[in-house]
Amino acid sequence: MRNGGEGRARLLLVILIVTSLFLITLDLRGVKVIEGFKQGTQTVLSPFQRAGAVVLNPVKDFFSDVTHLGRTRSQIEKLEAENANLKIKLLNRKNADGQLKQLESILDLAGTAGYKIVNARVISHGSSQSFSQTITIDSGSNAGIKKNMTVLSQYGLAGVVKDVYPNSALIQLASDPAFKVGARIAGSQQIGILSGRGNRSASLQLLDNSTTVKVGDVLLARGSVANRPFVPGVPLGYVSQVDNSAGALAQTATIRYYTNFSILGVVAIVVGGPTSDPGDSLVPQKPQVTPIPTVTVTVTPSPTASN
Amino acid sequence: MITRQISIATPIFLLIFVIQESVISQFRLPGGGFSILLIFALTWAALSQPEVAAVIGFAAGIFMDLSQSASGPFGQWTLIMLLAGYAISYIGYGDDNIHANAIGIVFFVVVANFFVEVAYLVTGALLGVATGTFGQIVLTLLGMSIWALLVSPIMLPIFTRLHALIFDSRSAL
Repeated sequence: MRNGGEGRARLLLVILIVTSLFLITLDLRGVKVIEGFKQGTQTVLSPFQRAGAVVLNPVKDFFSDVTHLGRTRSQIEKLEAENANLKIKLLNRKNADGQLKQLESILDLAGTAGYKIVNARVISHGSSQSFSQTITIDSGSNAGIKKNMTVLSQYGLAGVVKDVYPNSALIQLASDPAFKVGARIAGSQQIGILSGRGNRSASLQLLDNSTTVKVGDVLLARGSVANRPFVPGVPLGYVSQVDNSAGALAQTATIRYYTNFSILGVVAIVVGGPTSDPGDSLVPQKPQVTPIPTVTVTVTPSPTASN
Repeated sequence: MITRQISIATPIFLLIFVIQESVISQFRLPGGGFSILLIFALTWAALSQPEVAAVIGFAAGIFMDLSQSASGPFGQWTLIMLLAGYAISYIGYGDDNIHANAIGIVFFVVVANFFVEVAYLVTGALLGVATGTFGQIVLTLLGMSIWALLVSPIMLPIFTRLHALIFDSRSAL
């Protein structure tokens, strides 16, 4: 093609560039054909993803575990203890047990608030090549899931339904940089906007500059009209750092999400919101300190014989 | 000849796309992980003539746009990959230091991987795609480059043999 085909090669390149620009324009204008094409691909892919999830389930958390291993000693000890316990009890049911535990916590959370939920398993974690944070679940429109529904983890908000297919759905995680949710601080009821940062931390911008926020404050979702995309009262996270810039128009803070996005195995999609706002009832309980019983020994002198 | 090449190359791209979406995506790899499809396309582009590399990039870009994790508009990856494919081949074409040297190709692919991701970020910013904080972006770029450096040498023999099989070149390393 090089020998005498320079013009043809250039024409080919121009055609391909024009085609790409044409596709971008079509997508930005919201043409349904492109969306249908993507939906069709996901419908075809979901059985493969499901099979991959089943086959790779025992090993897929390996890298995540390795990453988090050195963070805190207590976590390692806890994991080691749990690991040893699980090995003794049910070696082959490790993942099933973990998912069951997550599911129980999710059901507790949903039951307290009166959410109607559909549970789903995570079948794929989105690649970070596009700098987005997504997961794919094994339930879709056939299970009553619709676009813009709240997704819960065992600890609180996990994300929102971005796209729905017959047997799977794409979830935009709360850690995604494009993710935003209206939040309020439990107790003081101050409101603000929480934005994802690409990891487990998020930034909170309060709407009222006269209010203050402090480390440890718990954040809950404010809720949306008709409970979509967000149902009210879902725990989001807690304030880990307050940014005090003198010239800032509104106070900002760094938030640590309750949900650990790297270990999501089971999630719940809220298909029906609560009849009334659950208020602060979902605020996670602080761990109770159990008093250690102390033994007091009183020494009584034995009577001595006196002459 | 062209029909034969396309008929063999298309299932290979499809297979790698399915592996990426069904297997690689199962792992939450530290540092953002890697895209086997991206590495594959860049390796093939480095071994091909510029116009063929552009078509390879175009095909890989279409698949990457079809991925559920693609956050930008459909066609963004297509445009970037076709330009990247053409550029990587244009720079390296005829240079035996790259073509006949496995280390040269790996280096070329890793550098191209980095610049492709940067190009995605820049075009994403122009198109209004949120990409996260600066620190997170730097970490992800660094992580992806390290993963590319680790994965490319392992996959290189397979990718070059597949390329030689289809394009009948002497590029198998």
